[in-house]
Amino acid sequence: METANKTGTIKDKLIFEFETSKLFLFGDTQLRDQSMESFYKQGIPDRKHEEYKYTPIASMLKGEFNFSTTKNCSDEQIEELKFLKGAYVVIIENGILVEGLSNLEHLPKGLTICSLVDASKSSSPVFEKHYSQYADVNADPFIALNTAMTKDGVFIHIEKNVIIEKPIHIIHIATAFENTIIHPRNLIVIDENAQVKIVESYQTVDSKAKIFNNALTEIVVDKHAIVDHYKIQDENDDFGYLLNTTQVIQKKQSVFSTHTFTLSGALVRNNLTIVLDDEHIESHLNGLYITNGKQIVDNHTVVDHRKPNCNSNELYKGIIDGKSTATFNGKIFVRKDAQKTNAFQSNKNILLSEDGTINTKPQLEIYADDVKCSHGTSTGKLDQEKIFYLQARGIGITNAKKLLMHAFASEVVNTVKIEALREYIEAKIAKTFE
Amino acid sequence: MNEVLEQKLSTEYKYGFVTDFEADNAPKGLNEDIIRFISAKKDEPEWMLDYRLEAYRHWLTMEEPDWAHVSYQKPDFQDIIYYSAPKPKKVLNSLDEVDPELLKTFQKLGISILEQERLTGVENRIALDIIVDSVSVSTTYKATLAEKGIIFCSFGEAIQDHPELVQKYMSSVIPYTDNFYAALNSAVFTDGTFCYIPKGVRCPMELSTYFRIEAAGTGQFERTLIIADEDSYVSYLEGCTAPMRDENQLHAAVVELVAHKNAQIKYSTVQNWYPGDKDGKGGIFNFVTKRGICLEENSKISWTQVETGSAITWKYPSVILKGDNSIGEFYSVALTNNYQQADTGTKMIHIGKNTKSTIISKGISAGYSNNSYRGLVRIGKGAENARNFSQCDSLLMSDQCGAHTFPYIEIKNNTAIVEHEATTSKIGEDQLFYCKQRGIDNEKAIGLIVNGYCKDVLSQLPMEFAVEAQKLLEVSLEGSVG
Repeated sequence: METANKTGTIKDKLIFEFETSKLFLFGDTQLRDQSMESFYKQGIPDRKHEEYKYTPIASMLKGEFNFSTTKNCSDEQIEELKFLKGAYVVIIENGILVEGLSNLEHLPKGLTICSLVDASKSSSPVFEKHYSQYADVNADPFIALNTAMTKDGVFIHIEKNVIIEKPIHIIHIATAFENTIIHPRNLIVIDENAQVKIVESYQTVDSKAKIFNNALTEIVVDKHAIVDHYKIQDENDDFGYLLNTTQVIQKKQSVFSTHTFTLSGALVRNNLTIVLDDEHIESHLNGLYITNGKQIVDNHTVVDHRKPNCNSNELYKGIIDGKSTATFNGKIFVRKDAQKTNAFQSNKNILLSEDGTINTKPQLEIYADDVKCSHGTSTGKLDQEKIFYLQARGIGITNAKKLLMHAFASEVVNTVKIEALREYIEAKIAKTFE
Repeated sequence: MNEVLEQKLSTEYKYGFVTDFEADNAPKGLNEDIIRFISAKKDEPEWMLDYRLEAYRHWLTMEEPDWAHVSYQKPDFQDIIYYSAPKPKKVLNSLDEVDPELLKTFQKLGISILEQERLTGVENRIALDIIVDSVSVSTTYKATLAEKGIIFCSFGEAIQDHPELVQKYMSSVIPYTDNFYAALNSAVFTDGTFCYIPKGVRCPMELSTYFRIEAAGTGQFERTLIIADEDSYVSYLEGCTAPMRDENQLHAAVVELVAHKNAQIKYSTVQNWYPGDKDGKGGIFNFVTKRGICLEENSKISWTQVETGSAITWKYPSVILKGDNSIGEFYSVALTNNYQQADTGTKMIHIGKNTKSTIISKGISAGYSNNSYRGLVRIGKGAENARNFSQCDSLLMSDQCGAHTFPYIEIKNNTAIVEHEATTSKIGEDQLFYCKQRGIDNEKAIGLIVNGYCKDVLSQLPMEFAVEAQKLLEVSLEGSVG
C-alpha cells in the first residue's frame, strides 16, 4: 500500500485514518488489514462503476471529513426516538453503542445483546464463528471499508428454541457538527427454531454538517428460525447520507422477511443481499421509498437461490416527488442446483413531479430450468381516471391524490406485523403527503 | 420433450460448406496501410479514406467492452484478414453473369435467386443484394427499383455514385466514437448495402441482403445505411450464413436507419451464422451495432430479428425516437444451443413528444448456452406522454443453460407510462399434458407450444422470411401456423 497522507483524496484520508487508528480498534487486525487492502484496490466507486451508476457517492464524498464520534445530542432527544414502547432498545450513536441510554436490563433467557467490542473481547464462540463470514470484502468497497474501520455496533444472539415476543429496536443516531464518516456494524445470529422481530431505525439528530453513515448488518438465520426485520430510514434531508449494507444468510426451512422504509435522507443507498443456502426457505423483501426535494434513494437487492425448493417474493414501491431520484436494482440469481425455485419480483413507481427521475433495473440470472421466475415493473403518474372517480364523488383533488397515494403505499405498509410500528410509519407517511 | 431437444441438439449446421472461389485477400493484420489498401482497392474518394483513418485512430484509444454477459477468447485483431473479395469482381447486370460457383452456393443455401423469382411472382418480388465476405456480388432488380427513384446498391457503388447522400447520412446515427466495434467497422468496412427511398415512394418489393462469410480467417465488416425520405415506406430483410470452420470468425457490422417525416422502415433479420460445433468450437463472433433514428414526426422504425446462429451474439438494435409521435418497435426471438452465448436486446430512447415503443423479446436457451436480454428504455425530460411496453420472456430447455434479463429503465418525465414484464420458465407440464390428452404427441406438442411462444415475433416477419425463420427454429414446428 502506498504511504497515505492526510491531504489528498478521501481515499487517502481514509487510509491515513486507518493507519493511525487501527491499533485502537477491536478484533482481528489481520482481517482489518486485508479489508483495507481490498478497499484500496476497489476505491470509491464513481459513475462508471456499474453498481453505482445512479448513486453519486464519489461526488458526495468530496471535501473535508472527520472520523471522530463525539456525542452531540441530548439524552432527551434520544428518548424521543424510542417510538416502540416495550421494546428492547439499543442506542448506537455515531457508530458506538451507548449502554446507559439503551434499555437492556431484564433480557429474557436465551437473548444476548451487547456491543460488538464486548462480544469480541469476551471471545464469544458464536461471535467468532459468524463475524465477517458473509459480507465479502471483495464484493463491495463499502463492505471492505466497514470491515476495516468499524469501531462498534451491536451483537445480538438468540439461542435455540427461544421465542422473543417483544421487538428489539436498534436506533442508529447520526449527529455531527463537522463532516463525518462513521462505520457502525451489527451482527445478528438467530439460532435454530428461534423467533424474533428486529427493527433498525436510522436517524440524524441535531446535525450541522454532512454525516456519511456506512452501516453494515450481517444476519444469520439458522434452521427453522423465523425472523421479521424492519428498517426505518428517516435521516436528515440535508446532512444524512446513508449507505446501508445488509447481508443475510438463511438455512434450511427458515423464514426471513425484511421491510425497508426510506422516508427521508439526502442520499440513501441500500445494498440488501439474501443468500438462500439450503432447501425449503422462504424470503420476503418489501420496500417503500417516498422521496422529495433533491433526495437520492437507491435500492440494490440480491436474492441468491443456491438450493432447490425455495421461494422468494419481492415488492418495492416508490413515490417520487420534487427533483428527487429513485433507483431500484433487483437481482435474482437462480444457481444451477436450485430447481423448483419460485422467485417473484415487482417494482412499481409513481412519478409525481416533472423533475423527478426513476431508474429501474430488475435483473434475472437463471441457470436452472425447472423454475418459475418473473419480474414486473411499472412507472407512471397517478391515474387520472381514479382521481376523476373520486372527484365525481365530492372528494377534492388534493384529498383524492392523498387517498390514492395512501392506497398505493398501503400494500407495503400492511406487511408490517408490529402494530405500533405500522402506526408510526403510517403517521410518518401522512406527514410527508401533507 | 427430450427427443425433440436431442434432435435439435444433434442437427448439424446445414449451411456449413466451403465454396472454392479464389478470394482476393489483403495480408493479415491491421494498420493504416491496410486501411489505405482497402480504400484504394475500392477506389474511394479522399474524404472516405480520411474518415476511415480518423475512425482507426480513435479505435486505437478504445478498449474492448466486457460488460456483456458472455465469455470468450478475445479475437486477435492482428490475425484477421480485413479484405477478402471473391473473384471475379466485376459489375454484374444479370444473374447470367454470376459466377456459377456462386449460384451453386446460393442453391445450397436454399435461397436460390432464380427460385425466388419463380415462386414469388412479379408483384411480390424480393430485390436481393448478396454479400460474400463483405463484398457485394449481385444486386437484383436494380432497374425496376431505379424506375421509382429508389437507390438500392452496394455501399461501394453508393460512395461512387451518390457521395452527397453517403456523406450526409453515414455516421449520423452511429458515430465511429460510439463503441469499440463500430469504430473498427468504420475503419475497415469493405462493403455493404445502401438504400434510399425518395419522398412519397412506397417500395414495391421487399429489399433483401444475404451475407455470407466464405474465406477462412477473414472478418466480415459490412455497413448498411437505409434512408427513408418523407412519406416513404420500405421493408428490408437481412439473412446470414457462414461455412463451418474450427476457428472463430469475426463479424462486426454497422447498420444505420434514418426515417424522415411520416416514413416507415421495417428491418427484419434472420441471423444464422455458424454457431460452432457441439463442443463450442468455432463459430462466428457476431458483434453488431444497429441503430435507427426517427428523425421527424410520425415516423416509425421496426426491428424484427430471429437469432439462431453465432457462437457469440452481441447486438442491440435501437431506436432514437426524436420526432414527435414517432414509434419504435423491437421484436426478437433468440435461440441458443450447445455453447452459444447471446447478449441481445434493444434501446428505446424517447426524446420527442407522444413517442411510443414496444419491445417483445423471446429467448429460448438449450444445451449449455446462455441467453441474455439487455435493454434500455430511456424517457427524456421533454418526452411528454411517452409510452413503453416491454415484455421479455425466457424459455429454458435444459438444466445446464442460463436465461438472464438486464433491463434498464430510466424515466425523467412524469407523464410517461412505462411497463416491463419478464418471465422465465420451462415448457409448462400442464400445457404438454393438455395437448397430449387431446392426442397430440409430445414432439408436436412442444412444436406447438414453442411456436405459440414465438408467434408474437414471427408474425412480424414478412411471409417468405417467416417460413425460413420457422425452419431455423427447427424445434419441430411442422404443421402449425406461423
